[in-house]
Amino acid sequence: MMNDRPARAPREDGAEGGFAGKRSGSFGGGFRRRKSCPFTGTNAPKIDYKDVKLLSRYVTERGKIIPSRISAVSTKKQRELAQAIKRARFLALMPYAAQVGGANERD
Amino acid sequence: MPFYESIFIARQDVTPAQVEALTTQFTDLLKANGGKVTKTESWGLRRLAYRVNKNRKGHYVMFNIDAPAPAVQEMERNMKINEDVLRFLTVKVDELEEGPSPMLRKQKERFEGEGEAA
Repeated sequence: MMNDRPARAPREDGAEGGFAGKRSGSFGGGFRRRKSCPFTGTNAPKIDYKDVKLLSRYVTERGKIIPSRISAVSTKKQRELAQAIKRARFLALMPYAAQVGGANERD
Repeated sequence: MPFYESIFIARQDVTPAQVEALTTQFTDLLKANGGKVTKTESWGLRRLAYRVNKNRKGHYVMFNIDAPAPAVQEMERNMKINEDVLRFLTVKVDELEEGPSPMLRKQKERFEGEGEAA
């Protein structure tokens, strides 16, 4: 019964192809040519756990870290980025799990 | 001597003067044990991303430290005991960052941006 399976692919084919520094719920992961790593090369920003603005570009709306196959970050830099995000989370500069649709302070 | 960056968060009920007193307490402790503090930054009262010990805001203070490891351990021990410190993090770095950290640079840019708009 394999034919009955709907055509929803495990990858997310969103409206945007590739990652243009926008945060959004669905990412076009599929067919965009791999861009170069944004952290290598000249004038690359340094990964710093204190730089929340930079880090929040590599995190989804829910606060999850974006995989490098979508963000095109190199492996080494992805590890540094993940470590920086985790440190920022510990320091309450970034949330562990954000609520979609804005933060309502209910409690 | 190795370089460290240390950040601590003081709870929101504490006054800014008390936060400064805490800062000097830790820096004096480091100096007494043979270290130096090259930069101190206070990021002020910021909203926390999630509640920490039932506080929604906290005073953030960051230092750049050049001190031997036992001094830093002593400082961390004191931070742990102190009730006003909610969280602290000390990170060993290869070199100390000169100039304002990204947090203050952002605040300054926003301030200047508003100045231009007005």
